[in-house]
Amino acid sequence: MNEVKKIDYADDGQFCSGHVACAGCAEALAMRVILNSVGQNAVGVVSPSCSAVILGGHPLSSARIPFLHGTLESAAASASGIKRALRAQGKDDTTVLCFAGDGGTYDIGLQALSSAAERNEDILYVCFDNEGYMNTGGQKSSSTPSGAVTGSTPLGKATQKKNLIEILAAHRIPYIATVSPSHLNDMAAKMDKAKAIRGTKVIIVLIPCLPGWGVADHAAVSTARLAVESGVFPLLEIEDGLRTRMHPEHKIRPIDAYLAQQKRYRHLSEADRAALQAEVDANWARLSAQAAL
Amino acid sequence: MNDLTSPLWTNLTSRERITGTWRSALPNYQNQPSPCLNACPVNGRIAEWIGQVKKGDTKGAFVTLADNNPFPAIAGRICHHPCETACNRNELDETVGICSLERFVGDAALDQGWGFPAPPAELAQSVAVVGGGPAGLSAAYQLRRYGFRVSLYESKSALGGLMRWGIPAYRLERAVLDGEIARITAMGVDVHLNAEVGDADALAALRREHDAVYLATGASLPKKLPTLDYAAGWVVDSAEFLAAPADQQSARTGDHVLVIGGGSAAMDVARTARRLGRTVTVLTLEPEGSLPAQKVEVDEAAEEAIRFVSGAMLQSAEAGDGAVTLNCIRVAFSKGERPGAFRVDPVAGSEFALSVHTVIPAIGQDADLQRWAGLLEATGPVIAAGKDWQTSTPGIYAGGDVASMARFVTQAVGMGKEAAHAIARALAPDIARAVPAELPEVGYDRINIAYQEPHGRTHQRLTEVAERLTTFDEVQQPLSADEAKSEADRCFSCGSCIYCDNCYFYCPDMAIARLGENGYEVDPDYCKGCGLCVAECPTGSIHMAKDDNA
Repeated sequence: MNEVKKIDYADDGQFCSGHVACAGCAEALAMRVILNSVGQNAVGVVSPSCSAVILGGHPLSSARIPFLHGTLESAAASASGIKRALRAQGKDDTTVLCFAGDGGTYDIGLQALSSAAERNEDILYVCFDNEGYMNTGGQKSSSTPSGAVTGSTPLGKATQKKNLIEILAAHRIPYIATVSPSHLNDMAAKMDKAKAIRGTKVIIVLIPCLPGWGVADHAAVSTARLAVESGVFPLLEIEDGLRTRMHPEHKIRPIDAYLAQQKRYRHLSEADRAALQAEVDANWARLSAQAAL
Repeated sequence: MNDLTSPLWTNLTSRERITGTWRSALPNYQNQPSPCLNACPVNGRIAEWIGQVKKGDTKGAFVTLADNNPFPAIAGRICHHPCETACNRNELDETVGICSLERFVGDAALDQGWGFPAPPAELAQSVAVVGGGPAGLSAAYQLRRYGFRVSLYESKSALGGLMRWGIPAYRLERAVLDGEIARITAMGVDVHLNAEVGDADALAALRREHDAVYLATGASLPKKLPTLDYAAGWVVDSAEFLAAPADQQSARTGDHVLVIGGGSAAMDVARTARRLGRTVTVLTLEPEGSLPAQKVEVDEAAEEAIRFVSGAMLQSAEAGDGAVTLNCIRVAFSKGERPGAFRVDPVAGSEFALSVHTVIPAIGQDADLQRWAGLLEATGPVIAAGKDWQTSTPGIYAGGDVASMARFVTQAVGMGKEAAHAIARALAPDIARAVPAELPEVGYDRINIAYQEPHGRTHQRLTEVAERLTTFDEVQQPLSADEAKSEADRCFSCGSCIYCDNCYFYCPDMAIARLGENGYEVDPDYCKGCGLCVAECPTGSIHMAKDDNA
C-alpha cells in the first residue's frame, strides 16, 4: 500500500538530550539509533572525534553506558582489551563497541583496526564517516571524496576516497555494513544483526557534516538520502568479506542533486561532475556484480 | 549542576545542559490548509476526512464532510471538483480522486442511514429560507444545526431546485437526491412546498415575520437568442425540457436535435435526448477543448456519439418541410474579463448550414431581478450582496444563482453555508462560528515526497456506452471499499498531521515527545531549532517560527 512507512525502533533513553552536537547534526541522530540498539549491557570506547565531543564534556555524558575516551590511534585495540577483560570476568555477553570518526578509522586508527580485524576480535566498530577532520576545522582525510573542497584541499581533493570497505572485506571479518541517517529502520535492523554476530563487525555511517560540507541545518537527512539515491553511498552488507548484499532499487537519480546541496562541490565544472558521475557508476556496477555472485 | 567532585568518570548526564538556548527558531505544530481545501467551494476539510477514510473510519469522514456540506453523495457525483485540479499530488503523478472518495463516503452514509444530530439547543429566533435548491437547503441545514427555527419556502412541488429539475438521473440518481434532502428536513425544517414568494411585498412580509430571510431563488429566466423564434413548435426551452418527464421529452423532440450551448445544461440536454434515441448535434461558440461544461461531461457526451460543432454561431433559422435549416457561421471566440463575458468575431466566408428537426437552446439562465425591484438592489445581472451575503435590505441575505455568477451546484452549497454562519453571527454571536483564520496554504514544496511512491489513480468505472443509451441509470460507478482505501492512501494529507512519528525519530536532540492522540510536544530546553523535523515531515504540518525567547 502507499502509506508512509513508519520508523519503528524503541528509544529507551540510552542517548540523552543536552549533548553539544551542532543543531541538526546527523551524527547525533545516528548515535541515538545505535545506542538504543546496543542497549544497557555494553561498554564503549571513543577516539578523539566529533563523537567524543558529543558523548562527553566531562563530567557529563550523553550516553547511559560507560565510554572510555582513548587515543586517536587505538580505539580498536582498547576495545579488544576491554572485551578480553570482560570475558576473563565471565561477562562475555557485554557488547563492546567503538565510536570513531573517519580520521580515526581510515587514517590514524587503521593499523589498530586492521590488527583487531585480523584477530577477529569480538567488537562492534562504528565509524561515523563525515569525510574529513571536521572536528578540527575541516581538513581532508583519506575518506574525503575526489573533488571535495576541505580546509586543506582548497581546489578540491585530487584523489579518490579510500575504499575502506574493500580493505575490511579483505580481512574476511564476519560483518561489514553501511548505514545512513536517512534510512533509520535499515540502520536499526543492521545494528540488531551486528549485535548477534561474534567477531569483528564494522558499521560505516555516512554523516553529512553541516559546516564541513556546507549543508543547511535542516538538510543532513535529505543530503544523506540523496547520497543513497544517487549511488554515491550504497547501503550494503558484506558477510565474511565475500557475500555482498545491496539494494539495486535504491539508485534512482544522477548525482547532480546530491552535489547541488553541498558547498564543498560548488566549484565543480561540468567535466568534473561527469567524472564524478562516472566514478559513482563504475563503483555501483562493480558492487552490483559482486552482489550478484 | 551539583556533585562535580569525581575526577575520573562522569556522574551526570548531558541533560544538565540546556542546549535550547542555542535556538533562534522553534518548530510549531499547526494543521494548515491544503490546496484542495482552499479550492473547495465549501472549504471542506478534505485532507482530514480522507485521513479518516484511510483509517477505515467512514462515519468519522461523513461527520467531517457534513460540517461543510450536507450533500456528500450528490457532490461526489456532480461537483466540478476544483480540489482535484489543485491537488499537490498532480506534481508527482495524478490527483487523488477526491470526488469519487466523497461519493464513497456519501453513499455509505445513505446506505447506513446516518443522520444529522439534533441541535444542542432550540433557539427562539427564526429564519425564512426562500428557495429549496442547493443554496437554500445548505443554509437551512446549517441554520438548523445552530438550533434556529427554519421555514423553507419552495415554489415547486418538491425540494432540490436545479439538482432535481436540471440534472438528469444518469448523473444523479433520484434516490440519492431524495435521501440527502430528507436527512436535512428530518432535522426539523418547516417545509412549505408550492409556496412561491412572488414579489418584493411578499418578501418584505416574510422579513417582518422572521428574524432573517435567506433568498436563494436561483436563475429562473432562460437567456434568449435573438435569432430564434421561441414561439415556433420546433424550439424547446432547455429548462422545461430537463424538468419534464421522459414521455413529454419524447413528444417534444424530432429525430435530429440541435442543442445550442457548451455548458453543463447543454450537455445534460444533449445526453438526455440521446437516451431518447435522438441524433444530437451540439453547437457552441467556444472552440473545441474550451467548453464551459466539465471535461468529463463533454468526453462522456462524445463517447455517446453526440456530434459537436464548436466555434460557430447560429445566424438564422428557416423552417422548411418537416426540417429546420440553420444558417451558421464560424466565429473567433475570446473570453472577457468578467465571468461569463465573451466576444465573438464571425469569420467571413465560413457560412454553413445544418438541417435538424428540433432546436433546444441552453445558453444559460438569468436571475429574475424584476421580482424584487424596489426592495433589493442589483449589481449587474445579480442581487447585490456584501461579504456576509447581506443584501441592501438589512436582515435579508441572498446567495446561489440569484446573487452570484458562480453557477456550480457546490458553489451554491458553499454560499448557503457562508450566509448561514453570517446570519448566526448577527442573531446569536455567542455561538456562531468565527470566520476562519487565514493560514498559509501547504504547497507541494512542503511535502517530503521521499515518503511517497508514485502510484496511479484508481478511476471510477463508466457504464458501457451501448448500455448507457438504453436507460437513465447512472454512468459513473462507485469505488469499491478496497479501491476507496487504496485511493485514500494516495492522499499526501497536506497540512494535516498523520502521527507518523518522523518528527520524533528525526530529532537529533530527543526534544520531541509523543503525546499519543494529542500529537507531539517540543521541549524548549533542548530543541536547538535545526528544522530537521520540519524537513522530514511528510505532510507539511510542522512549521518553523522565529523564537526570541530562547
